[in-house]
Amino acid sequence: MSDIRKHKEKKSFLIFKKNSDLQTVSLVTVAFVIAVVIYQLIAGVSKNGVVAFPSLLYPSNILNILIQATPVGILALGMTAVMLAGGIDLSVGMMTSMFSMFVAKVVMHGGMHIGWALLLGIMICITLEIIMGAIISVLNVESFIITLGGQIACRGIGLLITRSQEVAMDKQHLGWLKENLFDLINPEGIKIFSRKLQLPYYVLIFVALTIITWALLKYTRFGRRIYAVGNNPQAAYLSGINVRSTKLLVYIFNGLCVGIGATTLLTRVGTGIITVGQNLEIDVIAAVVIGGVAMSGGKGSVMGAFIGSILMFTISNAMTLMGIQSEWQYVVKGLIIIISVAGGALSHLFSTRKAVRQQKAAL
Amino acid sequence: MAEAIFRLRNISKTFPGVKALSGIDFDLCPGEIHCICGENGAGKSTLIKIISGAYQPDPGGEITFEGKKVSFTPRQALDAGIQTIYQEHNVFPMLSVTENIFAGLEVVQKGIFVNKKDMWEQAQKALKYLHCAFDADALVGTLSSGEKKLVEIAKALVFKRKIIILDEPTASFSVSEIEMLLDVVKKVAARGVAIAYISHHLDEVFRLADRITVLRDGLLVLTADAEDIDESTLVSSMVGRDVSAFYHREFFDRGEAALEARNLSGNGVHDINFTAYRGQILGFAGMVGSGRSELMTLLMGGAKKDAGEVLVEGRTVDFHSPADGIRARMCYITEDRQHAGLFLEHTIARNSIIANLVNRASFFIHLDEDYRVGQKYIKELRTRANDANVVVSNLSGGNQQKVVLAKWFHTNGEIYLFDEPTRGIDVGAKQEIYQVMLDLLRQGKCIIMVSSDMPEMVSMADRVMVMKNGRIVGSLDRGEISEENILQLSIGGSTI
Repeated sequence: MSDIRKHKEKKSFLIFKKNSDLQTVSLVTVAFVIAVVIYQLIAGVSKNGVVAFPSLLYPSNILNILIQATPVGILALGMTAVMLAGGIDLSVGMMTSMFSMFVAKVVMHGGMHIGWALLLGIMICITLEIIMGAIISVLNVESFIITLGGQIACRGIGLLITRSQEVAMDKQHLGWLKENLFDLINPEGIKIFSRKLQLPYYVLIFVALTIITWALLKYTRFGRRIYAVGNNPQAAYLSGINVRSTKLLVYIFNGLCVGIGATTLLTRVGTGIITVGQNLEIDVIAAVVIGGVAMSGGKGSVMGAFIGSILMFTISNAMTLMGIQSEWQYVVKGLIIIISVAGGALSHLFSTRKAVRQQKAAL
Repeated sequence: MAEAIFRLRNISKTFPGVKALSGIDFDLCPGEIHCICGENGAGKSTLIKIISGAYQPDPGGEITFEGKKVSFTPRQALDAGIQTIYQEHNVFPMLSVTENIFAGLEVVQKGIFVNKKDMWEQAQKALKYLHCAFDADALVGTLSSGEKKLVEIAKALVFKRKIIILDEPTASFSVSEIEMLLDVVKKVAARGVAIAYISHHLDEVFRLADRITVLRDGLLVLTADAEDIDESTLVSSMVGRDVSAFYHREFFDRGEAALEARNLSGNGVHDINFTAYRGQILGFAGMVGSGRSELMTLLMGGAKKDAGEVLVEGRTVDFHSPADGIRARMCYITEDRQHAGLFLEHTIARNSIIANLVNRASFFIHLDEDYRVGQKYIKELRTRANDANVVVSNLSGGNQQKVVLAKWFHTNGEIYLFDEPTRGIDVGAKQEIYQVMLDLLRQGKCIIMVSSDMPEMVSMADRVMVMKNGRIVGSLDRGEISEENILQLSIGGSTI
């Protein structure tokens, strides 16, 4: 029949499928990285008269980006699941703050063992997500509003726990998570370009959790249901999927991710304080959206979100190396998000128009 | 009769793949009530959308308004005095009657300030003229559906519209509200307003109409004065298709009872009784809104039943969700495949396995197996797609419907509920879907089919139940199934 369009999935130069939203953002980022590398080369030549290897591409710097991206990346995994199911969670930032304040408080002032404190903290995150998820799924109300309420409440709970003060933790409590993996190979440390390579254990948690989430969404019945619910809840219901329980489970999974992500952030910062997670949800959502997950749900992947969070921090890192002041960094980051998502939508629009034209011509 | 205020000459409208109207002539005179009749899909809605400016006709047609040739946008049509009152309420429930009447057209003084008093008085005057039992301050959300319709008519009066189009105004009305509305319509027409009135209810048509126009498959069948026509002439003019429109199917022996409903009520349907057998198609006919899809949803477990019982293979079942229906080997091919059937942004493979997830024991999914399932049904149903990794939104309507079928075939269903199996599908693909349905019967499966497509119902069904206002009003055996009989049952007789 003439009106059937031949469908081919072309691969672009990167691993992403043609027309995926990731394509635009990866193009922007690659262009950006090349610009920074050229800048560093020129700057190096003009300053010292010799071509030096750009510091952005130092292995130590790349590992550093990974370290910076870890907490946001872990939260992005949970957020990906939530957004794939058609929801959103604005409470993750403040829940992270609350978690850090709770753990710091019970360990430092309550004398609780750090392991129990972390476990309890994670349980609290999951419980809060269960409450919000139950309200969202059973009453079928807007997740935006419910989690916004959750965000505000978490801020209050966190401040109440520490009586609005910050609680610094001792090194011994979370130091084990921070230990350098490369020290296992050589206790003196491994150096490349005369810089020591750093890779704390908690980065491994990030990588492992990414793989688990990826498999969960791609290779399990549960993952399939998440995509189905996000793409078309009505059709999902009529296809025998329990839409409510799927949504609820997604929020529970998100609670787990928040707990683990908050643990890594607390390990890095070492202090339980309200500002730890402030505006974190914005970074997380930005990373997920850059990664090509549709706000409307049902479309996107964990790998996208993983890459998205690393891209975000690569851009920040490159700008810092270029000496761009932080105010401008915000402007550039914002623009990159807007351009990449708008660009993705534009290319989708053009390809749809092309398809319509082809169909009309065929008729 | 007075000179026509509005004239359509040789109006056609083509949508991709379908000609909705061809060569229609239509007049509206001041003070006249002109009823438009036709089956579902005859082209009535397209016609009123052309009158109201929502659609532009194909080149070659001519629209004249007050003697001048015009081409309206909806806004221009409204400004010229043509008000369309659609079937669904176009009101703001949280605003008062006055605010609704003047929404977007507020009377202003000194440039920006709204003149509330003046608006209120005008609204009140119109309501009084229509003998409304509520006043201009009432919140529209608190009014009944009949009263909401009156608000829209009052709006037309306030702005002195010359033409009012009413599309199925009494669809959700009680008997007294229908009486009220008919009185109001007559009264408004007596003021010299031209009224185009679309209805499925023949008694309403005969009580109101000065003239009647009948459409069938986008063609004008007749326009006649109401005195010159009776109910049976009207019904027979709405039917009477060419033999080539029908499909000649093969019949199979009746098997055991597969699905039975006893005094079933809930989800807007009442006292439903039927038995569907293996090897047969039980059709549910009726006008849009008669409760057929609601019944299907109820049978599948998608809505709560209030009373009665459903038996599958002779055993009473109690479904709490469609998942229960699927476990009982039932399949529901929904009317709206884009919104309730498919996951448009997902691949054929993903869509094909989704309904069978409830039957699958293993937690893990094998992508290769999904792909094989997708490929198998592409081959079996002759879906025109390169492979199972094609995203469903790229397929044409007929092929999308085949993906929906694949989704259900993969659950190994025994009882198939087809709601409008071939809506929006071209003729070639239709025949293929019919062939698939007959194959199911050959395998001894049971089919229940809802269809507004008369030739489809007449040629495919072994037995037809006709529904009206959520109830079964009659049933027809194979020998009795004809367009005329179905139509007589679904629109003839009294309104309730």
